[in-house]
Formats: sequence, C-alpha cells, structure tokens
Amino acid sequence: MRGVLRQYASTGSALLLGTAGLTIFTGVWALAAANLNNEVLLPSPLSVVYTYAELLTDGSLLGDVRASIVRVFAGFFIASSIAVPLALILAYSRVLRGLVMPLIALIRPIPPIAWIPLAILWMGLGDPPSYFITSIAAFFPIFLNSFAGGTSLQQEHVNAARSLGAGPVALLGTVMLPSALPMIVTGLRIGLGQAWMAVVTAELIAAQSGLGYMIQISRLSLETSRVLVGMTVIGLLGAVMIGALGVLERRVIVPWNNPR
Amino acid sequence: MARGTSPNTFRAAQRPAGTPLGHAPHLHVVGAEARSQAESAPRLHLDNVTVRFSSRAVPAVEDISLSIGRGEFVALLGPSGCGKSTLLNVLAGFCSPTQGHVHLDGEPLTAPSAKCGVVFQKHSLFPWMTALDNVAFGPRRLGMPDPRRIAQELLDTVGLGHVANSWPSSLSGGMQQRVGIARALATRPPVLLMDEPFGALDAQTRSLMQEELLSIWDKLRPTVVFVTHDIEEAIFLADRVVVMQAFPGRIAQEFAIPFMRPRSAEIMDSAKFIESRREIADIIRIEARKSFR
Ligand SMILES: Nc1ncnc2c1ncn2[C@@H]1O[C@H](COP(=O)(O)OP(=O)(O)OP(=O)(O)O)[C@@H](O)[C@H]1O
Ligand SMILES: [Mg+2]
Repeated sequence: MRGVLRQYASTGSALLLGTAGLTIFTGVWALAAANLNNEVLLPSPLSVVYTYAELLTDGSLLGDVRASIVRVFAGFFIASSIAVPLALILAYSRVLRGLVMPLIALIRPIPPIAWIPLAILWMGLGDPPSYFITSIAAFFPIFLNSFAGGTSLQQEHVNAARSLGAGPVALLGTVMLPSALPMIVTGLRIGLGQAWMAVVTAELIAAQSGLGYMIQISRLSLETSRVLVGMTVIGLLGAVMIGALGVLERRVIVPWNNPR
Repeated sequence: MARGTSPNTFRAAQRPAGTPLGHAPHLHVVGAEARSQAESAPRLHLDNVTVRFSSRAVPAVEDISLSIGRGEFVALLGPSGCGKSTLLNVLAGFCSPTQGHVHLDGEPLTAPSAKCGVVFQKHSLFPWMTALDNVAFGPRRLGMPDPRRIAQELLDTVGLGHVANSWPSSLSGGMQQRVGIARALATRPPVLLMDEPFGALDAQTRSLMQEELLSIWDKLRPTVVFVTHDIEEAIFLADRVVVMQAFPGRIAQEFAIPFMRPRSAEIMDSAKFIESRREIADIIRIEARKSFR
C-alpha cells in the first residue's frame, strides 16, 4: 500500500516537473517570438496551435502522418525480418560470420541519407525509396544488437537444457532465442527510432507526401508555422512510439529483465 | 575391467611418502575390497580419462580411473584448478575426453542425457523462465505427465513453493541454487552431478542445504558426484571422498567415510570427524606442496 502510494507520488512529481519544463520552454519561446515579431523567422506558439487546428480540420496533417508512419513501419518490418535472422545465424556460424562481418563493417558507416541518390535512381520518387531508406536506417541497430544477443548465449544454459533432455530444436526455441531476446528488443527499439528519423530525411528529398515532404513544401512557401507543426508532430509521435515499445518490452516481451 | 590393476589406483591406494604416521589412521584408505561393491555394477565408470585443452600445456585432468556404484555418494575434493569441474563435465557428457572412456550403466557416454541431472557451479537458471517453469523444463522436454505439478512439489521440497512464480533475478543466490537443485531433481535422474552447489552460500544456509540434500538423497537414492573444496562438507555428505591434486589433475587418494546414515550436523563435532578432517587435510597439504615445486 505504502509502495503504491509512493509510486503514485513519484509519478505525480515526474509529471509535474515535466509539465513545468515544457511550460518554461514555451514561455521563453513566446517571449522570443514576441520580441522578434517575425512570423517567418519564428512564429509564436499560439500561431503554431492555430496552424495545428487548421491542418487537423482540413485533414492534411493526418494524411501526412499516415504516409510517414506507413513508410516507417514498412522499412522497419523489412529491416527486422532480415536483420534478426541474419544476426542470429552469424552469431552461431563462424564461417558465415567471417564472410559477412567485414562487409557489414564497411557498409555500416554510410549514413542513410547517402543512399538517397541510388534509391531515387533505382526506384524513382514515391514510396519505394522511402522504404529503402528507412530499412537501411533501421537495419544496423537491429542487426548489431541482435548479433550481440546471439553471442551472449551462455554455455551453462545450453548445457543445462541438454542435460534436461532438450534436443537441437528445443534448444533453439527455448534457450537460444529467449537468451537473445532482450538485446533483439533493444535493437528493435533503437531501429524504430532510426527509421522514424530517416523517413523525414527521405521525404525531404524523395517523396511527395508525408511529414518530411510537408516540412519541405512549407519552407519553400515560407509558412514557418507549418514547418513547426511538422517538427513537433515528428517529435511527439517518435516519443510515443519509442515509449510504447519500451513499455511493451518491460511488461510483455522481456519481463524477466525488469521484475517488479 | 578389474579396477585394482590400473596403475592409477595402485598409486591412489598407497600412502604418499612423508605422511605423518604417528597415529593410526581413522579413515580407511579405499582399497580393493571396499571398491568391489561399486564394481559389481558401476553406475559411472571412468577409464584412464585425460582431458587436454588445446590452449594448455598441462592436461586439465590426466589418467583418471574411477568407478562409482549405484546410489553411492562420492565427493570430489581438491584445490581450485585441479580439474573437478572438467571431470564433472566429462561425466555429464558436455565435454568428451581427449583419451580414455566413460561409461554410464555400461553404455559409452557420448552426449548429455536426462539420465544425469546437473547442478552447476554458477547461476545457470534460465532467467527468462519463472522458478516453476525452470523446474518444469526437464519434465516438459521428456514428456512427463503434469510437469507443473511435479515442479511445484519439488519447489515445496526445497522450501521454495511460495516463490514459484518469481523470476530467478528476483531470488537470492541461495534460493536460486535451491531452484537449480529442484530443476536437476525434477526428471528423477539416476545420477546427480553437483558442482560446488553451495560454494556461494553463507555458512548457515550452507549447512541447512547440506542436511536438506542428505534428506532428499535418502528418499530418492540417486548416485551423486558432489564437487567441493570444503573438506568438512565432503566428509559430512559422502560415502567416499576422492581427493584430487592439481597440474595435472589426478586422483591423489580416496577415503571411505564410515559415518552411519542418516547423518545429522552433530557428527561434525565428533572426535572421529575431526580426525578424518585432519587426515584428509594432511594429504591435500602434501599434494599442494608437491604441485608448487
Ligand atoms: N575451456 C577451457 N580451456 C582451457 N583451459 C581450461 C578450460 N576449462 C578449464 N581449463 C583449465 O583446466 C584446469 C581445471 O579447471 P577446472 O575448472 O576443471 O578446475 P576446478 O577444479 O573446477 O576449479 P574451481 O575449484 O576453481 O572451480 C584449470 O587449469 C583451468 O584453467
Ligand atoms: Mg570448478
């Protein structure tokens, strides 16, 4: 009972502090905007709120959000369905590891944005290059963390399972996968964040819809409050997605790492 | 195979030179006649086993021959690094010997099997399973009926029925070790291999666990190979103490332990116990000095 109360109290104070921080930030912003008095250089918080209302009522904001989210999840899905199995196979096979790892080490430092020219050349404008860019961005964190998860397998666990009657198939499902899972999920969380950042980059250049595209178009037409709407939506949605995955991770996917 | 003829046994049965002989030995150094019982139908049989790791010049264990009878409780005693875990890994089938043979119930032992339950030196519970699921793992793999009930009963036996649904990471070291013992017992293995299972426990918990282990052993009578570097623990638990020496790991000497069963902690205060402890300690000291040279 005491514990529950304390937990509520600490959640309450965290909420209070967070709100205070946001309020101070918005206040400083409002002051600066009032002093500058230039809607193109720095629109006031209030005009950003008006723009929010406007873009929500005409439905264009939701359309852009949907386009970006679809691209993020498409890329994320492609990346994870290749990265996780590949990482686990490489973690358990010395030969394949020797074959593939140098290649990965060379490709990894190339930022997703550097792939955009190739992506446009190969796939034109529209959705496919964005899928490509988001999956490149998500791939490496997912791959590297899953690989670390695969190699963190403890010999004691394998031995214990074998002496309790587990064959190769049971070993894979009941020992190898679960022992890699915490790192895989960490990789997925980071990968999702990377994909979300990369989709904006891709849409700035290679797409005709989505939040990145909306920011770019609004910049050209000097509608800075729309740019800020786009930016804040990106921040908000990114935080919500990553936070939700974090909760899912702690409560559902790897509860044993965070016993309550 | 006549155990008494192997050169290693001959050495093990002899008193090493320099042993203080001022008093009559209380312990019976295991000779041919005491071993004959184990030999009639040995559960485990090691035949001139050598394990050499490629990265090491000196073998981890060298030329070890040992027969362990059904229901016998054998303690492997020796200093750190003398190859106790290595030998246990060979018995469990985790590691195959570089030379020599291992037999379990007369069959060559080549891979781990559910016939040998293993309690590991370090934490080996599956962290992604609750205590109950850890214990139920073996019964599930072997298709035994009602694994959850079996697991719950064993957790009750080791006094941990109330934490069945806890994650291992939320249990204390001693509790984890007890879950590990319950897990190894759950498949009712005829052989139980235990690698310093109480090494990380405080003195009180350790002595409680020793008595608990003896009472479980009394009920189920598995063959036990129990690794420890604690002399008192070895004497208190075992029918036979096998003392090992290091670099290379060999059997220095074997002792039959005469105490009646069931045993209680009081025997540790008896003169006979203290004398046995001294005798084994002397051997260990002599062997340690030898390997330092
Ligand atoms: N995988 C390995 N590779 C190389 N050497 C090893 C390996 N495992 C054990 N050894 C060596 O073999 C010897 C015996 O090791 P082992 O773990 O069997 O000792 P131990 O008697 O169990 O010691 P402790 O009481 O500290 O657990 C040691 O010298 C050790 O360094
Ligand atoms: Mg050891």
